[in-house]
Amino acid sequence: MASSSKRQEIWLYLQFPLLSLETLLPQLTPEQQSKPIAVIGHQKNVQQVLCCNSQASAWGVGKQLSLSTALALCPELLTLSRRAEQEQERLQQLALLAYSFSPEVIIHKELGLWLEISGCDRLFKGYDALLCELQNKLQQQGITAVNGLAENPLAARLLCKPSFQTHLPSSQQIQQSLQGTALYKLETSRKQQQSFKQLGLTSLADLLALPRSALSERFDAELMATIQQLNNQRPFTATRFQPPSSFYDLIHNPQGIFNKESLLFPMKTLLQRLCQYMIARQCHCLEMHWRFEPLIGESKQMSIRLSSSQNSWSMLLNLSRLQLERQELPRSIEQIILYADQFIEAPAGMFNLDLFGEQTDNRSSSDLIDSLNARLGAEALFQPVLKQENLPEQAGTLGLANQQTTTATQIDVSYGKQTPQPLWLLDKPVPVQIRNQQLYWHRPLKLISGPQRLCGNWWQNEQQRDYYLACDSKGARYWLFREAMDRRWFVHGLFA
Amino acid sequence: MANTEIISSLLTRQDTWRGRNLRLPRRTLGTGHNSLDLLLQGGWPTAALTELLPRRLGIGELSLLLPIVKEQSSSNQLCLWLDPPYQPYAPRLAAAGIALDRLLIVRSKNPTEWLWVAEQSIRNGALLLAWSGEQHLRYTDLRKLQLAAADSSRAAFLFSSIKTLTDPSPAALRLELDSQSVNQLQLTVRKLRGKAPGDRLELNLDHNSTQRIALNQLPTGQHHAYGSISASGSGN
Repeated sequence: MASSSKRQEIWLYLQFPLLSLETLLPQLTPEQQSKPIAVIGHQKNVQQVLCCNSQASAWGVGKQLSLSTALALCPELLTLSRRAEQEQERLQQLALLAYSFSPEVIIHKELGLWLEISGCDRLFKGYDALLCELQNKLQQQGITAVNGLAENPLAARLLCKPSFQTHLPSSQQIQQSLQGTALYKLETSRKQQQSFKQLGLTSLADLLALPRSALSERFDAELMATIQQLNNQRPFTATRFQPPSSFYDLIHNPQGIFNKESLLFPMKTLLQRLCQYMIARQCHCLEMHWRFEPLIGESKQMSIRLSSSQNSWSMLLNLSRLQLERQELPRSIEQIILYADQFIEAPAGMFNLDLFGEQTDNRSSSDLIDSLNARLGAEALFQPVLKQENLPEQAGTLGLANQQTTTATQIDVSYGKQTPQPLWLLDKPVPVQIRNQQLYWHRPLKLISGPQRLCGNWWQNEQQRDYYLACDSKGARYWLFREAMDRRWFVHGLFA
Repeated sequence: MANTEIISSLLTRQDTWRGRNLRLPRRTLGTGHNSLDLLLQGGWPTAALTELLPRRLGIGELSLLLPIVKEQSSSNQLCLWLDPPYQPYAPRLAAAGIALDRLLIVRSKNPTEWLWVAEQSIRNGALLLAWSGEQHLRYTDLRKLQLAAADSSRAAFLFSSIKTLTDPSPAALRLELDSQSVNQLQLTVRKLRGKAPGDRLELNLDHNSTQRIALNQLPTGQHHAYGSISASGSGN
């Protein structure tokens, strides 16, 4: 590369010639997919073929043929109308994919992407490896792509080859092929193209060979700007792609999905996209929502809360599956939507460098909480909560585990060390009988220590209780109290 | 030829007992009581299921495990209590030095869920304290838990009903818990790998509460705004 002090930029232009077709393909059955297919778009009130698959090309169908000609060539041609919004959505997703290869991504509305990849080689161990990896990733997504590489964005687009190159050409090679580029590829006005013809200019080399002052006299400012860009004399100012702040994605399945097992595959795809998004944004998800929409009737929502940061799609799929088992779903599902907008920044130590692996233990315990949550529901998980109260049933309660009430106030527990306190508390105090002037609960009870007076609720109905430690003849110990007012006895706890 | 292969594969297993060594090299967790450590040949077996069979509730069966729960929570690991018979009393647990946020109480709705939670928690490295309650656990279910504990090298504790004492169990350790007088917990080893059953131990659960607190020595904390009133006619 050039040995200038400024880092030499390397621009990669990705073009997706079949994107219009490939966004629509997943909605077709496998049987339909094997037929010749063409996507039809309107151009000047004429219905034209925008792109077609290889089966259709074998019949002679090609780009820019009118619909009637195409049908005449291939009577069994399956024609789809173009969905421009879906294409752009797909392009956004591809930009997100590209974002994991380079921090500088620019979306080209005409179904292409620019990536500035200089300096990204070390991560992938070389530019060639980066290009191979990118090609693989795109193929996995079922996307056909061709690319061009050059030192500036415009040249990269002009040098777009009909196949995917996985080798970075040298600076000289780039210059050579740029010189040979035909002028009609330049995005210029018709008038300009005509004057090229009149001057007998065919390739870029012819144009650049003219003196610069002569050029500016003959051609407009736009072309001059283009030439400056091609010569790296003018920066490329298009806005860079930034991943959106929330994630929303859906899979459309017009055939309908009838059982939970077959839901898992589209769910997996969506979760993989979510994970890709999270990796690109370097964040972790706190909560995600699923929505299953049937053709007719009400849609079903399902939310999954994550106690700690999760970033692996298999774990997320597992949790979704566990929760899905508990759900009643509509009979046939046409659309699956995954939505997430609560994210936290990924912790700095994403790689577990801890020698003793304590972090893995912590991770697995939060994994456990998540899967319990998904399978049993949040209402089955509890945590003991301590409060600064006098009455035992208020001082120690069970709270739902997910609420994460961080009580900042330090509660003094030293008192509990001096006085006996039970391990089990009964949900409600149970009245104790008195037989032969002796307390009786399952067996005769004997008081062994006490009393300890606890008072509470003085603002409503005041309670004064004297707590005693009692035991039965077999060594079981209970926590008894007597109400100071009406002198009745209750069991309130067990010393297990 | 095949026979020697089988034998050599058996001998490589860690849990094959050979007559030569009377004790298996086991990893154990200290119980917090020296005499109990001695009885159990080192402490609670890790990588195994321990079954505790209390004759009655309230004799100190749970206090036996408090040291290990405390240790687990202080190392910031989760302790899961599955279907405890009553509500755990938070002030007592906090006083014992247990971090409450490391404690998770799970209530299952049916036996299938119970078993799933138990197995998941063992496999995910949490300390499991499970109460089987009234449900009858089959041998295969218990074996699942035992295998999970062996796979993940974790200790797991199961409180079962005393009625199941005569049933076979795959647990590595079965302890019968009884008490004849206050604070005297009587432990009988019903099964311990590498040891004949029947050993018995009287454990004194040394609590402050064993001493009778004289009325004038009662702490005058916030709970005693009204002063202490003598317990007349209380029947002791």
